[in-house]
Order: sequence, then structure tokens, then C-alpha cells
Amino acid sequence: MNAPDRYEKFVVPDGLKKVAYERDTKVPNAATFTLQREDHTMGNLIRMQLHRDKHVMFSGYKIPHPLEYRMLIKVQTDGSKTPIEAADGALKDLQDELNDIREQFVKEAERQQPEAMIF
Amino acid sequence: MASIRKTYRRTPKVELRSLTEESCEFVLSNTDVSMANALRRVFISWVPTIAIDLVEITTNTTVLNDEFIAHRLGLLPLVSSRVKEMKSPFESGEDDDWTDVEFHLNVKCTGDDTMDVTSNDIQCDPRHPDVRPVTDPEGKGILIVKLRKNQELNLTAIARKGIGKDHAKWSPVATTFFQFMPEIHINQALMETLTLEQKQEWIDSSPTKVFRLNPITRQVEVENAEAYMYDGECIAKAEELGKPGLVDIHQRQDMFIFKVESTGALKPDAIVVMGLDVLLNKTHDLIESLETEAQSHAAQAGGLDS
Repeated sequence: MNAPDRYEKFVVPDGLKKVAYERDTKVPNAATFTLQREDHTMGNLIRMQLHRDKHVMFSGYKIPHPLEYRMLIKVQTDGSKTPIEAADGALKDLQDELNDIREQFVKEAERQQPEAMIF
Repeated sequence: MASIRKTYRRTPKVELRSLTEESCEFVLSNTDVSMANALRRVFISWVPTIAIDLVEITTNTTVLNDEFIAHRLGLLPLVSSRVKEMKSPFESGEDDDWTDVEFHLNVKCTGDDTMDVTSNDIQCDPRHPDVRPVTDPEGKGILIVKLRKNQELNLTAIARKGIGKDHAKWSPVATTFFQFMPEIHINQALMETLTLEQKQEWIDSSPTKVFRLNPITRQVEVENAEAYMYDGECIAKAEELGKPGLVDIHQRQDMFIFKVESTGALKPDAIVVMGLDVLLNKTHDLIESLETEAQSHAAQAGGLDS
């Protein structure tokens, strides 16, 4: 009856931003990003990538409620870069890494079956 | 954003071990558990396939009720090699987007014997004959319902593109998992304090064939580290023999053995590549939205925002 539509889980509704940024008022160089319609898949990936950045002092993610399809990432830096720059860098590093994995996998798959690739 | 960016990226390595029509195995190394787990999650619930979503039943005199049959139809894997050309109902904007594939099923049992209605009885959409239920090597088809004499089933089913996040019927994998590469070190000095019988006894304590006795050197060697099931039997045996620390077993945190088993909807290599594409799209979208968000904040603060 009042069940939400199934696509609510992965379609960002009109008027909501995919990524919303909010500076932390009590902690210096800290911010919270609200990612709409994302889950542990990207949450943990981004959090761990941020941990590799030595200018990031804290990064963590949470899903405040299982029926609200949003994920929060908190980032605190040492001040030499903004949380936005850190998050942007982490995402770009992940993009490079994923491209690398994709390229290697496609090459390996072509080596094993040269004719039948569809990509 | 800064033009010169210091990267903290990893340099992963991929080694494909086997690739068949229904499964593939590869080793992903020099990366983090979070990457392995993101890939696993994406294969299960974000790679799109085609599955029956709407069923209109005109006659159903079978023993199974309408919902039961609709559910069973939904779970049939459909060949989804053309899923990239399709749009799901909420992605589609234009009228000429391809969203639906229509199937018909009209069966009636006339003989005295029980009749099996299988996926082979489904009539495919003449506009898209390549979207059809997957076939098994024996060609028996997937059983939907059994009919008695004079029972009848007539229905129209509409298949759509979707993802496993929405409903598990759209998941392209039967199972997908990764395993941490085990790292096994035998304390050879301590091992030499055992008699040959004790060595053999210890080797046999492992339920899977992990260790072997070298007949020439009479030393215990690791035969197949990957066979180790983290059961701890050989560690318990070492303690029982009064030799704790005989073997040291760790899970490597940077090397993963992946196995992807397809339902038949997509080729296993296609699942992996499409999964990576999904993750790439996600990161791309996030970078874009993050940068617009950063710009709007910078504009708001008049450039004062650090």
C-alpha cells in the first residue's frame, strides 16, 4: 500500500544532489559528504582509498538507516588539502585503478579466447 | 582542483586462470580487500541482465496459482548479451528506447500422461529472437509447471532490464566469491623433531591435501596452499603432538582468488567487465557531482571557503 517504489533504491530522485557537501562546524578541516543511492560497495571503497592519503587524518562511512538509501562519508584532513580535494583525489585514484584492472582483465580474456569477445 | 595531484593509487595485477562458458577464475593481487569486496558486490547486484518482470495470465487451470507461476517465470535466466542496447523503464526517456521483450506461453495437456511445461515451451519475441531462456546441454529446459489432462496455461510475459539490487532474479551470477590467498610457513627446525610417522600423521590431519612428504629429503612441504580451508585441523594436530608453532598460516590481505559462476544470462568474462564498467561509471558520476558541488560551495562562499 504505502510501499516505496522498487527503483527508489538506486535512482536519485529529482531535486536531490548525488553528492552533497557539508563542512563540519566543530572540527577543523572536516566535512561530511552525503552520497545519495550509494551503499557499502562505494562506501568502503572510498573510505579505504582515503586512508591511503597521508594528509587524511580520519575517514569513515556510515549508512544511517537501511531504509534510507544514502551513505555518509566523513573526512578530516591535516589542513594541507581540503576534504573535497582529498575525496576527489581518492575517487580519481580509484578510477585509475579500476581502468587498470579492466584493461588487464580484457587483455587476459582475449588471450584465452581471442575470437569471442563482445566488448 | 589541483592540477598536479599526488596519487595514492595501487597497482593491481590480474591473472586469469580459467574461463569457460559458465564460470571464470582469476587472481587479483596487489590491491585491497575493499576493492575485492566492491567487485564481488557489484557482480551480484549491479550488473544488469534481462528477466521477466510482468506476467499477464489469461487462463490458468494448473495446480500452481498465478503468483507462483509469475515468480517462477521471473527466475528463468534469459540470454542477456544484448542487455546493453536495452533501457530499464526508469532510464528510458525517449519513446523509441527498447525496454520490453514479450514472451507467450500457451500450453494445454491433452494426453493422459503428466505434461511438463518447460522454458522450451516459451514462445520468444519475433522482434528479438536472441533474447530467450538459456539452454542446457541436454536441451531439457527449465521446468515451470506440470499439467494433468485438460489443464491449461495461457499467458503473456514481459521481460525487462534490471539489476540484482532491485530483485535477485536480475543477478547475473549463481555464485561469486573471493578467497584470501593463504600463506603457509612450516617451521622446519621444529618439524625435524618429529618422527617420520608423526610427520605423516600430521600431514594426514588436514582434511584437504595441503602438505606432502618429500620422499627423498623426508621433509614436509606445502603441496597446495590454496587447498587449505582455514579449518585449523593441522594447527590443532600440532598442539596435540606437543609442538605448537609447527606451522604458521596467514591470509594474505592483498591477493584474492575470485570465482564468478554465471547463471547463463551473461558470459562470466562479460560479467566481470560489465561490473568494472558499473564501478567506473559510479566513480565518474561521483567525481562529476563532487566537482559541481565544490564549485557551487566555492561560489557561495565567495572564494573564502578553504
